[in-house]
Amino acid sequence: MKSFKILKAPDEALKEILLSLFELNKIKGVFALSRINSDNYGYALITDKTLIRDIAPTIPLMPANAAKSISRLTMVESLKSPIAVVLRPCELRALFELVKLEQARLDNMIFISFTCGGVFPTRIMKDGLHDKLEKYWENIKTGENLEDLRESCRICEHFVPDNADIILNLVGENNISHETTVLLKSEKGEKLLTDKINKFVEIDLESEKLRSCINKRTEVKSKIYGAFETEKFGVDGLTRFFGRCINCHACSKACPVCYCKLCFFESAENEYNPSTLETMLNNRGALRLPVDTIFYHLGRLIHVGITCVGCGMCSDACPTDIPVSRIFSKAGERVQQLFEYVPGRNIDEKIPIATFQDTELTEVEH
Amino acid sequence: MKGHIITSTEGLNKAVKRILMSFIEQGVFDAILVPTRAPSGESFVYLLIKDKKFIESCSPLPPIMPIQGARALKDLTRLGKTDLRVLCVMRACEIRASIELSKLKQINLENISFISIDCPGAFVTRDYINNSAELDKSYGEILNVWKADNLRPSCNTCVSFSCKDLPIDLHIGKIGMKENEIIVVPLSKKGEEFLSSIQIECAQDISEWQTAIEDMQQRKTENRNKAFLELKNKVTGIDNLNNFFSNCINCHNCMRVCPICYCRQCFFESTDQVRLEAENYIIRAENKGGIRFPTEMILFHLGRMSHMALSCVGCGACEDACPMDIPVAQVFKFMANELQQMFDYVPGEKIDEPIPILTYKEDELREYEDAQGSK
Amino acid sequence: MADNSTPRIIGFLCKWCSYAGADLAGVSRLKMPASMIPIRFMCSSRVDPLFVLKVFLGGADGVLIAGCHPGDCHYQTGNYYTRRRFALTQKIFEELGLETNRIRLSWISASEGQRFVNVITEFTENLKKIGTNPVKEEIFL
Repeated sequence: MKSFKILKAPDEALKEILLSLFELNKIKGVFALSRINSDNYGYALITDKTLIRDIAPTIPLMPANAAKSISRLTMVESLKSPIAVVLRPCELRALFELVKLEQARLDNMIFISFTCGGVFPTRIMKDGLHDKLEKYWENIKTGENLEDLRESCRICEHFVPDNADIILNLVGENNISHETTVLLKSEKGEKLLTDKINKFVEIDLESEKLRSCINKRTEVKSKIYGAFETEKFGVDGLTRFFGRCINCHACSKACPVCYCKLCFFESAENEYNPSTLETMLNNRGALRLPVDTIFYHLGRLIHVGITCVGCGMCSDACPTDIPVSRIFSKAGERVQQLFEYVPGRNIDEKIPIATFQDTELTEVEH
Repeated sequence: MKGHIITSTEGLNKAVKRILMSFIEQGVFDAILVPTRAPSGESFVYLLIKDKKFIESCSPLPPIMPIQGARALKDLTRLGKTDLRVLCVMRACEIRASIELSKLKQINLENISFISIDCPGAFVTRDYINNSAELDKSYGEILNVWKADNLRPSCNTCVSFSCKDLPIDLHIGKIGMKENEIIVVPLSKKGEEFLSSIQIECAQDISEWQTAIEDMQQRKTENRNKAFLELKNKVTGIDNLNNFFSNCINCHNCMRVCPICYCRQCFFESTDQVRLEAENYIIRAENKGGIRFPTEMILFHLGRMSHMALSCVGCGACEDACPMDIPVAQVFKFMANELQQMFDYVPGEKIDEPIPILTYKEDELREYEDAQGSK
Repeated sequence: MADNSTPRIIGFLCKWCSYAGADLAGVSRLKMPASMIPIRFMCSSRVDPLFVLKVFLGGADGVLIAGCHPGDCHYQTGNYYTRRRFALTQKIFEELGLETNRIRLSWISASEGQRFVNVITEFTENLKKIGTNPVKEEIFL
C-alpha cells in the first residue's frame, strides 16, 4: 500500500487531510466525532470547513455507533455530493452489514478509519476522560489495552479497518504523539490524495508488530471467554445473567445492526391477554412482570447474532450494567463460525441466513 | 380514619409480608404483585405471586426502584381487565402513575387493589448494584430516621411519598412511628373489609403519623422549591438548555423507562422522524456549518415533555436510567409542576379526573389568546 | 394428553409435505404416541426461530420443525433457509447450555406416513428419557 507520513498527532493529521480535501473540492462535508464543548463529544456532519478544527475522531469514545447515524442519513437516498466519513473499524463493519440489510447506501462516501486502540465506556465523558488520555496513548504504542476500556474493545481482534479508503496506522506505532502514518488502501483513496502528496513509501500494514498486537487481544479474549462458561448456563444461568434486566430495550436501540423500527418484542404481536398471563401464573405459581425478559434477549440474539460486530454499545447502554456484549459477541461468534462468516468483511458477501447451498448442514437434519 | 399498630422486631418488610401472607391464605386476594430480589441478587423485579411459598422471599419496600411498578402492572392489564383479584404493593409514585395510565387506557383497574408504604426514597440503582450489602443495611436505618444524603435526587424533592390522600384501599405508615412499629391504615371501606377478613380491626389513633407526614411534606416542599429555583437559571434559554443536555447521547432510555411514556413506537423513532432524505440533513448542515448526529436531541426532550409532562408523577425513573447521569427528572418535574399548576391538576390523585388536555371548558385560558397583542 | 407423563411436542409442519404426511399416518391408522400438537404453516421457512424459542420457554418438552425434502420444497427454496435458520438456532442453544435434543428438524414428505410415525415415536422416546422441560417451573422468564 502507498503510504506517507504527516508530522502531527493523529487528530491534527486528519484535520490537515480533510482541510486539503475540502480545498481541492474533493469533498463537500465531513462526518466525524467532534468536540461539542469542553468535555462533550458527539458525531457531527460538518459542511463548513472552519469547523474542522473541532473534530476529534480518535478520542477514545463512542457515544453512539456511527453506523446507525450513517444509516439514518442515507436510508432513503444516497448522498449527492462526496462526504468524508471518519469512523472506527467496528462502525465501518456494522455499516457494511446495514448496507446488506438495505438500511444504508454507500455512494459518495469516502471512508477514513484507523487501527483502533479501543474506547472507554461512554459514562467517562461526564468526568475523568482527560485524566485517562495520556495513559491511553502510551498504551497504544505497545498495543497493550487498558483494563478500564470497554470489554468488547479489549477482546477485539478486528481492529484493522480493511474496508476503508484511507487508514491511519495508530496501534503499535511509537511516534504517534507527533507523527502519523497514512495508508491509501483503495484506489479511491489513492486518487484523492495523489494531488496533494507526491512522495509515497510502499509499506505493508500486515507487520509483525501488528500481529503481536492482535495476539495480545486474543489472549485477553481467551481468558475472558474461558471464564465465561455459557455452555453451562441453561435457563437457570440465563435468568441469573439477565436478572437485573429492567426491560428497557436500550441494548436493542443502541445496537447498530438491530435495525427494525418497530421491534417484534414491542409490537402488538407480542402483547399478552390477561387470560394468557393468568394461565402462566396458574401453571408456575408466580410470574415476573414485565414478562419476556429471557425471550427478548435470546430472540434478539437469534435475530442479530449472525451480524454482531462486537462493538460493545449494548453493554454501554445498559442502565443496570449487564455485560450484554459479552454474551452476544461470544454466541454471535459461534454462529458466525458455523458459516465461516465475518460480518462486515466483504460488502458482496451475503449474510448467511439470506442465502443457502443445496447440500450442507446435513448434521442438523434428523 | 383509624389505624392498627403492629409491633414487630423483625422490621418493616417482614411485618408487611405477614399481612400479605394472611391475605393469600384467607383467599382475600388471588394474587399479589410485589417486588422480589432478582435471581442475580443485587436488584429487584416485580413478581406476580399466586403460590404463597413465594411470599416469604419478597421485598415489599426495596431500597431501589429499577422498574417503575406501573410498567409491571401495565403488562398485566393493558389488553383488558384481569379476572384475578390482585393486590399491588407499590410506592406512592408508582400508584399515581398507574392511575394516570388507567386514564390513558393502558391499565384496567378493575379487580386491582393497591397497598402502599410510606417511602423515604430510593437509592440510585447503579450505586446499589455496586454496593448492595452496605446499602441494604443503611436502608433499614433510613426507615427509622427518615433522613439520608445518598438517595436519588428525585426523592429529595418528592412531596407525595405517602398515600394517605390517594384513592386506594390500604396503606402502611412508618414515618413518625416507633422503631418496631408500623401502622396499617385502611383508606377506603373496601380496605376496612380486607383487613377485617384477616382479623385486623382498626381502632387506633393515627394523628401522630399524620402529623409526621405533614412535617415531612413541609420539609420536602422547601427542598423542592429551593431546587426548582436553582434549576430555573440552569435551563432558561436555548443556550442553557443545550448545555444542560450536552452530554445526551440520544439513547432514549429516559423515555423507555418512563411509566407514562406508553407509545409502542415513539414519535421520535417513527417513520416521520427516521425516514428523511439525505438532502434534508445536508441542507440543515449547510445552514449552520454542521449538525450533530444523532439529530433532534433537544426536540426529543422538549417534545417528550410536551407530550407527557401533565401526567408526570416525578418518580425519577428517567434519571435513574440515564447512562450519562443527566438530571432529566429535575427539569421534567420542574416543568411538570408549572404545567400542572396551570390547570390545578395533580396527576394520579383522582381516578375520574381527566387529564387536562383531554378535556376543556368553553371559557378559559383567555390570557393565551393573542398574547402578543395583535387584534 | 391428560396423561402427565407424555412429553409435549409442538410440531411446526408445512402444509404441502409434512402435514400431509401426518394426515396420511392418521388415515392409514398407524399408531404413534399422542405427544404432538401440530401447527400448520404454508412452508417450513415461515417458522421464525422466535416461535421455537417461545414454545420452548413456554414449557414444551420438544419442538419439531418438519418440511419437504431439500429440492422438493413447494416454493422451490424455502426449506434451504429453514435448514440454515435451524442450524443457527441449534448453535445458540448449544452455546448457552439449552438442551439441543429438545429441538429437531426433519424432512418428511406427503407420502411418508410411516416415517412421520417413526420420527414422532423416536422423539417421544428420547424426551421421555431426558425428562420434562424444567422451564415449566421457571418464574423469572
